[in-house]
Amino acid sequence: MTAKATTTDDDVLDASGVTLRFGGLTSLDDVALRMGRGEILAVIGPNGAGKTSLFNSLTGAYVPQEGTITFRSRTGGAHELRGRKPYRVSRLGVARTFQNIRLFGALTVLENVKIAAETRQRTDAISIMLGLPNARRDERAGDEKAHRVLSFVGLEERINELASSLSYGEQRRLEIARALATDPELLLLDEPAAGTNPTEKRDLEHLIRRINAELGVSVLLIEHDMKLVMSVADRVVVLNFGRKIAEGTPAQVQRDAAVIEAYLGASAEEDRAAVADMVAEQTDAGPSAGPSAGSPPEKSPEKEERP
Amino acid sequence: MSGVPATAARTPLSAAARLRKGKWYEQPRWRRLGALLALAVLMAQVTGEQGVRNDLFHALEQNFKGGGVGVWVGIAVAVWLIREFFDDAVARGVSRLRERAGGPARTVRATSGRLFGRRGYRWGALGALLLVLIVLPLTVTTFWQQVLVDQIGVYVMLAVGLNVVIGWAGMLDLGFIAFFAIGAYSSAYWTGGLPVEPPVELNNFLVIPVAVVTCLVAGVLLGAPTLRLRGDYLAIVTLGFHEIVYLVAKNYAEFTGGTRGANGLDRFSLDLGFWSYDWTLDPVPYYWIQLGFVVVIIVLFLRLEHSRVGRAWTAIREDEVAAAATGVNTVRFKLLAFAIGASTSGVAGVIYASKQAFVNPEQFVVLFSILALSYVVFGGMGSVPGVLVGTAFLVWLPQFLRDRVDPQDRYMYLGALLVIMMIYRPQGLLPSRRRQRELRMAGEGVSGADALGARPGGERG
Repeated sequence: MTAKATTTDDDVLDASGVTLRFGGLTSLDDVALRMGRGEILAVIGPNGAGKTSLFNSLTGAYVPQEGTITFRSRTGGAHELRGRKPYRVSRLGVARTFQNIRLFGALTVLENVKIAAETRQRTDAISIMLGLPNARRDERAGDEKAHRVLSFVGLEERINELASSLSYGEQRRLEIARALATDPELLLLDEPAAGTNPTEKRDLEHLIRRINAELGVSVLLIEHDMKLVMSVADRVVVLNFGRKIAEGTPAQVQRDAAVIEAYLGASAEEDRAAVADMVAEQTDAGPSAGPSAGSPPEKSPEKEERP
Repeated sequence: MSGVPATAARTPLSAAARLRKGKWYEQPRWRRLGALLALAVLMAQVTGEQGVRNDLFHALEQNFKGGGVGVWVGIAVAVWLIREFFDDAVARGVSRLRERAGGPARTVRATSGRLFGRRGYRWGALGALLLVLIVLPLTVTTFWQQVLVDQIGVYVMLAVGLNVVIGWAGMLDLGFIAFFAIGAYSSAYWTGGLPVEPPVELNNFLVIPVAVVTCLVAGVLLGAPTLRLRGDYLAIVTLGFHEIVYLVAKNYAEFTGGTRGANGLDRFSLDLGFWSYDWTLDPVPYYWIQLGFVVVIIVLFLRLEHSRVGRAWTAIREDEVAAAATGVNTVRFKLLAFAIGASTSGVAGVIYASKQAFVNPEQFVVLFSILALSYVVFGGMGSVPGVLVGTAFLVWLPQFLRDRVDPQDRYMYLGALLVIMMIYRPQGLLPSRRRQRELRMAGEGVSGADALGARPGGERG
């Protein structure tokens, strides 16, 4: 329940006591979260556990009533994110994607990314209207950066297509590209694998690793796909009913009694391996399966990968 | 086609054969004819002669006797025939046309390539068009010269400014004429036309930058606290702002001259030392001033549209939450659009006041805001060519109808045209490609991006 007090300067994100209420409903209850630089941290939990609320609180879309959220940028400054406007959070270096894809559908792929690449440019409307050299320079810089990011995520072939005409998996990647174009140090991915097919999931896993390794971006990930979480995440935080109920390596979390209970609504006296498989099954089953819907365990043919 | 065998409903012959059966008039087909005929009679009455007070039934009678009924009934029968018997053919033709015109909106050609390949051709065409526009007023009667300056020129300028606010940034502004009024009263004030003496009297050309700044400030003052609002709410706020400006102009007589306004304002004049020119009653020189400003404004605005500013506006219009999360300072860009629109309106106001040589509050009633808005929507929100053509056409139409129909009915035709247009071509006359795609996506349920961005914000937790 208490925040871990052991913070180091190496942490990219340090949230403690984050409490968010909507009227009588407590969406986040005293949540603490610590994230080391360069880490891939996954947030999991049943539907309605407050995962997206946590993201919205971190990015300024919601303002939690209590708590502190400190972001430490590479240059050394510590910034309080709570109550900061979303665009300011983005400019500090915290980018996000959305659970339900929110692209600018009537714009092309390139334009979508350019919008993000240009947000830190300083040219004013008057220089643009007069076509001054600095405006043209910025335009070119935005273009180049957008091309770079798009080829990083593998969409360079489709730059002139409309965002809305891309396949689901491509739209997910475009959203990630748009987030990357803001030069983030911390990237928040809200269910990036939702609705994608197995091939796209593999590509996504690869992409997340590359973002982390090649760009040095810390990744905070909400995901229902346990296979992806277990293979990609360094650590996992589990939320249920707005509270953090467990934290640790994927292997630790999988064996945690509280986690199993949260997902299955039953105490864990059964064979632990079977239950772990059931966790994966349950979350794959989609949003209709509530925490208490204890369907009989089916043996998953896939073995869990361990990092 | 209730109760009718499916095969019998295909040809006119079998339809006629069914006449023998009882209650033929209850068949939907004949009922539709009846409805169309009733509509035709109504239209004949509406478009026919006006009633007079001392002989109430005279016009009614005349309209039944006259040829108008015949024409309308003919149209009704023709529409009915086409709808009933050639519907499939029409539908096929329309879909073929649509395919040829639009095509599936999947890819967008790289604009740079398209511009590059046909640049010379484009500039040539634009130059020729400009030349035509320059000599146009010399070829028409004085009446049309007046219409060009007092109506078309003024409204085109207003519409181009309003297009920034509505078409690009997606904010519904119903108080646009307020800035027009501020521009006009600025002109009156700084040229010494109002009861209050200005610190220095300025030439009208110098008033323009002053009015631009005044309107920018007014736009920012109004916008800063209110641009958090969206859609309908913003519309009401701007309507309220317009009402404030209008009532101040009307009631603050010590400053504005009250309902009578101010007369005998200075017109434009230019004195370069070696050459001077005074604008007088002749409308044509004003037209050239307006044309010059419109061309300059359009060039500047088109640059904006295809810059990061224009893209940011589109992003805000489509999804404000995503735009903010991407780092776009939404309030700042909305404010920018609002201020740019306001200052354009202000320039139009200065030119208008100086051309008329008088101002009074009745020139700035809210109707003109609504008209400007409908011109923008009619032409195609977000599309500069569309707005230009749409505005010019809609302003021209009532004047054109002046001698052809009953003068009191002119705006009825305008209204009918707007209604029909919004039903069959909601994207406007020459829609912008971005807007067209948005409308199509909204129609297909792909995106929530509607015309004015009024959609439930926020997201699920």
